[in-house]
Amino acid sequence: MVNLKFAIFKPMLKLAMERTGHGAALGFELTKIGRGEVEMTFPYKLEVVGNPVTGVIHGGVIVSLLDTCCGCAAITTLTRSAVTPTMDLRLDYMHPAEPNKPIYVAAKVYRDTSNVVFCRGSAWQDDQENPIAHCVATFMKVETPSISFGNIVRRNFRRFILGKKVYEQAGDK
Amino acid sequence: MIDQDLKLNLMSARQQLSPQKILDLIPYSSFIGAQAKFDGSEVIYWLDRRPSNIGNPSLPAIHGGVIGGFLELSASIEILYSLDVASIPKVVDFSLDYLRPGRYKTIYAACTVLRQGKNLVNVAATAWQDDASEPIATARCHFLLP
Repeated sequence: MVNLKFAIFKPMLKLAMERTGHGAALGFELTKIGRGEVEMTFPYKLEVVGNPVTGVIHGGVIVSLLDTCCGCAAITTLTRSAVTPTMDLRLDYMHPAEPNKPIYVAAKVYRDTSNVVFCRGSAWQDDQENPIAHCVATFMKVETPSISFGNIVRRNFRRFILGKKVYEQAGDK
Repeated sequence: MIDQDLKLNLMSARQQLSPQKILDLIPYSSFIGAQAKFDGSEVIYWLDRRPSNIGNPSLPAIHGGVIGGFLELSASIEILYSLDVASIPKVVDFSLDYLRPGRYKTIYAACTVLRQGKNLVNVAATAWQDDASEPIATARCHFLLP
């Protein structure tokens, strides 16, 4: 039963991450979703360049990618209805990403406790052993059924089916 | 763009007291929609809300990665604007604490250069929304000077 739930959950997570908000703007692809282990691929894009002289993408993109990847890995460990906001994220940049090459990102949960999930992740281009960045991130487990991931996915699913505009009325609260 | 153009652009931005001119040189800043102005004593950075910066559509909340990227961008602009450097500094490490959720409205940020060494600069950045005394995130980062 748990595995069946997870099998349904996987494409929904993929859909929610790749098709909404900043994930859609970045345009990455989740290539592997397992319990506590997520991988993704990000193609090179001119819009996110951080250095106009060299064409190297901005470090902020790596922050977003690793935060998303670690966050997804944290979500996959949940067994009850909860959300996992990031508590802190620390990144070390080993060397700049080469322009015109995709970036691969992988994240793994290395410790899962009742309140906190500990993750680490890395981003690389040619060689996983020679990463461009490495990160550690911690996530809180907050049990709030109204904003649980299942609910988010259900609502998003409805939006995709009905093709409704999502965010216009949602602000200004 | 070549190095010389960048140098000239940086110099004219500093002369005109316009950190926005430096932001305009970096494609990533328009990707997330970051803006900046010098208010006489410090540079204030802000990020107006836009659908492509949403992380959790149900709340809705700003994507944590966007807040991180915005603070890292602000920190590098702070260096380019306030220190005499001729090219974009390289980020070495970045550490971010999320204090409150980023609601779907404008985020403000301010940065402080804590130390400038010969090769390394340490910058602290804080982000807030309604009230500067209630930060939503703080970051510190090291940059390698070119």
